[in-house]
Amino acid sequence: MVALAVASVLAVFLIYTALGGNSIALLQPSNLAGHAGTVSLTGKVRGPVTGDAKSGSGLRFALRDIQGQSPLVPIVYRGSVPDLFKAGRDVNLTGHLEGSSFVASQMTTKCPSKYTSTPNNKA
Amino acid sequence: MTALVLGALLAAAAVALVALPFFLGRGEDLDAFGAAEERRLELIDERDRALAALKELEFDHRVGKIDDVDYRALVGPLRRAAAEALQALDADTTQE
Amino acid sequence: MADLGRAALVVSLGLAVYAACAGTYGALEKRGRLVDSARNALIACFFSTAIAAIVLALALVHHDFSFVYVASHTSRDLSTVYALSAFWGGQEGSLLLWLLVLTGYGALAVVLNRRLLRDLIAWVVPVVGAISAFFAFVLVAVSSPFQTQVPAVDGAGLTPSLQNPYMVAHPPMLYLGYVGLTIPFAFAAASMLSGHTDERWIVATRRWTLAAWMFLGFGQILGSHWAYVEVGWGGFYAWDPVENAALMPWLAATAFLHSVMIQERKGMLRVWNMILVALAFELAIFGDFLTRSGVINSIHSFAKSSIGAWFLGFVIVTTLFSLVLILWRLPLLRARTKLESALSREAAFLYNNLLLVALCLTVLWGVIFPILTELFLGQSRTIGRPYYDFFLRIFGLPLLLLMGIGPLIAWRRASVRALVKTLRWPIAVALVAGAALIAAGAGSSRPGVIAYTFSAFVMTTIVVEFVRGTRATGSVFQLIARNRRRYGGYIVHASIVLLAIGIAGASAFQTTREQKLAIGQSMTVAGHTVTFRGLEHERSGVANETRAVLTLSGQTSGTIRSGVNQYFTGDTSREVGIHTDWLRGGEDTYVIFDQQQGKDVYFKVLIKPLVNLIWIAGFVFLAGSLVALWPDAREQRRLVARLALARG
Repeated sequence: MVALAVASVLAVFLIYTALGGNSIALLQPSNLAGHAGTVSLTGKVRGPVTGDAKSGSGLRFALRDIQGQSPLVPIVYRGSVPDLFKAGRDVNLTGHLEGSSFVASQMTTKCPSKYTSTPNNKA
Repeated sequence: MTALVLGALLAAAAVALVALPFFLGRGEDLDAFGAAEERRLELIDERDRALAALKELEFDHRVGKIDDVDYRALVGPLRRAAAEALQALDADTTQE
Repeated sequence: MADLGRAALVVSLGLAVYAACAGTYGALEKRGRLVDSARNALIACFFSTAIAAIVLALALVHHDFSFVYVASHTSRDLSTVYALSAFWGGQEGSLLLWLLVLTGYGALAVVLNRRLLRDLIAWVVPVVGAISAFFAFVLVAVSSPFQTQVPAVDGAGLTPSLQNPYMVAHPPMLYLGYVGLTIPFAFAAASMLSGHTDERWIVATRRWTLAAWMFLGFGQILGSHWAYVEVGWGGFYAWDPVENAALMPWLAATAFLHSVMIQERKGMLRVWNMILVALAFELAIFGDFLTRSGVINSIHSFAKSSIGAWFLGFVIVTTLFSLVLILWRLPLLRARTKLESALSREAAFLYNNLLLVALCLTVLWGVIFPILTELFLGQSRTIGRPYYDFFLRIFGLPLLLLMGIGPLIAWRRASVRALVKTLRWPIAVALVAGAALIAAGAGSSRPGVIAYTFSAFVMTTIVVEFVRGTRATGSVFQLIARNRRRYGGYIVHASIVLLAIGIAGASAFQTTREQKLAIGQSMTVAGHTVTFRGLEHERSGVANETRAVLTLSGQTSGTIRSGVNQYFTGDTSREVGIHTDWLRGGEDTYVIFDQQQGKDVYFKVLIKPLVNLIWIAGFVFLAGSLVALWPDAREQRRLVARLALARG
């Protein structure tokens, strides 16, 4: 009886997450191309960082894969810039592709050092 | 140098502690329970469970969680169960 | 000195392996002296680990930069307290802390229980020994805190945002919790290995489980508070994998704490309890694996190192071990009694368990979803907050309700009549509260209103229990002292109710507004007027500190300072400003200094009703757990007498 309950609960999750459209893809700059809709993009910030996240044209920088060589993806960010953001840091962005640029409205940072139990900022 | 000495001391102390029981000669008996004792342990647990259930019922009645009607209905079977458990345990202990 | 540390860890490894092997052999062959020897090895293992820990601690305090670890995580200007807290700031040190707590707990458990049956303890030793051996192995061969280098002039330092009291308290407390779950697991495994599958292992470990659960729970509240005031995004829980890593075992342990009550009274649910305790332990280790391996993108993640593979292997091996044990002992574990009625306290406990485990699995699914999608779909996908919120409501709200019904429903078989009679006051209060809340505008969030109404219901049941009990016994202190488990439990329930109210208020009824303000300008959020007065600049030893001064008027009044620190290392960190209004039930006005533009500032203001109840709940939780934990001399005597009687 218990096993049945557990199994049915698990089935509910499976269905919910698979069909409910509640998940978004986790991507890197190297495999971003072609993905439509809202996705989560993680990479390393490459300067120069220009613009203003609060202005219409947004904060502009480039993103590349954290490890290895990859093409640069231009980023346009509008929103709150998290603590620890700067060139060379790893960030995670939520947004979508618009043409060749990635337009994002949410950004979080990761601590760059080896150990990290650093709680990081969410914007 | 001190590190070496301390390290050696540590290793020696560890070995000593581990070897100690072989020299104390406490005996090999692991206090394992035989079948008879296991059965008695089960009877003791039955008794304790029955008495605890009765005690809980009394408490719940006293604080008013269980009203008189329900109390009267429940206390009989619980008392019987406790009596049976006590009897069974008694029988087992007097058997020896 | 690093040599001593390394040597001590090697000795620990040797002792742990000995405890595992000799202990197993001794328990199998029933050789008492070998069993004692293995037990001594476990105790000695704690001491040698302690020596390794002392070596590291001294190196940290003395700024010995010949230690790679010390150089990586501290700097000369770091105060002693924070230098010490760097002990658990990195991979190797935190592993050492884990081993220290594990061997400490293990040694204590076997020493305290030596009057208990030796042949149960005989199996506990090798289980704890084997687990310790794994951690010692990792510390010796994979991730050593005692790597040396040519002494650096100064160390890399501790990130400024980690230099706060939370860093001192939060990780050790969580470890006391995580590692603590090993003990009931070891006793459960020992009971299956020895064939004594009755309740004695539960009785022996009840307080251990409760203590571990208490530390894990309070540690999470500490972490949430840290996130709230320091990380400063306005929330306190992000459903981050590392946060979830602590939540999952805690939920499993909560289920376990409840279902053992059924096993103690009715001898039921024995297989279920074995599964639960193993689940709690595995989730604790799995959580550790998640944190260390960086396998999931998490803002907390440690570096991606080979250690992940070792931990995964360990989780798999221990899970298989538990499964095999349970399947092997299934005949012995089968219950003798069955559930009599779907409307009974036993059933209520069962529903509580099902809901808790369902919630636990929900979180687990969310955590491993990115890994599974990557494996099976080729593309890693992540699940967002709405998923967790949805299931938290679906499972959490009924759980909340059950908290009120459970203690009042009768054992074995409850009649609807009796149930309604006992619940009439709580139901009445809940209905009135619900109506009042809706009239006051709380209807804007349906789950919020439901949470509040259920909370009123449960709180009334708890109050009624205390009132009735006090009336019957005369004094509330006597009542609690004589029934520690029950009333300690009620206090803990009360803390959960406070938690629910706080969470509901702070999330369902929160108001947020972002606006750019010039000096002198105001913005109004939910009846609170926030006026930007000016900027203050200060220079501390580590940073340039900018603070915006804001005044509050309207629903609440006061002054808030919110700003940003620009550290000389180049990092910036926002320092949020929080104003708490206790007269409004602990409501916070939370101001984030988003961005400066000339003399103007973009602010984000959040009004979070009742959020401080969450932190209060943490202390109530602690108090209730301590009451339930408190040693009972009578109980100890009874246990000893029971064994003596069995022996005849």
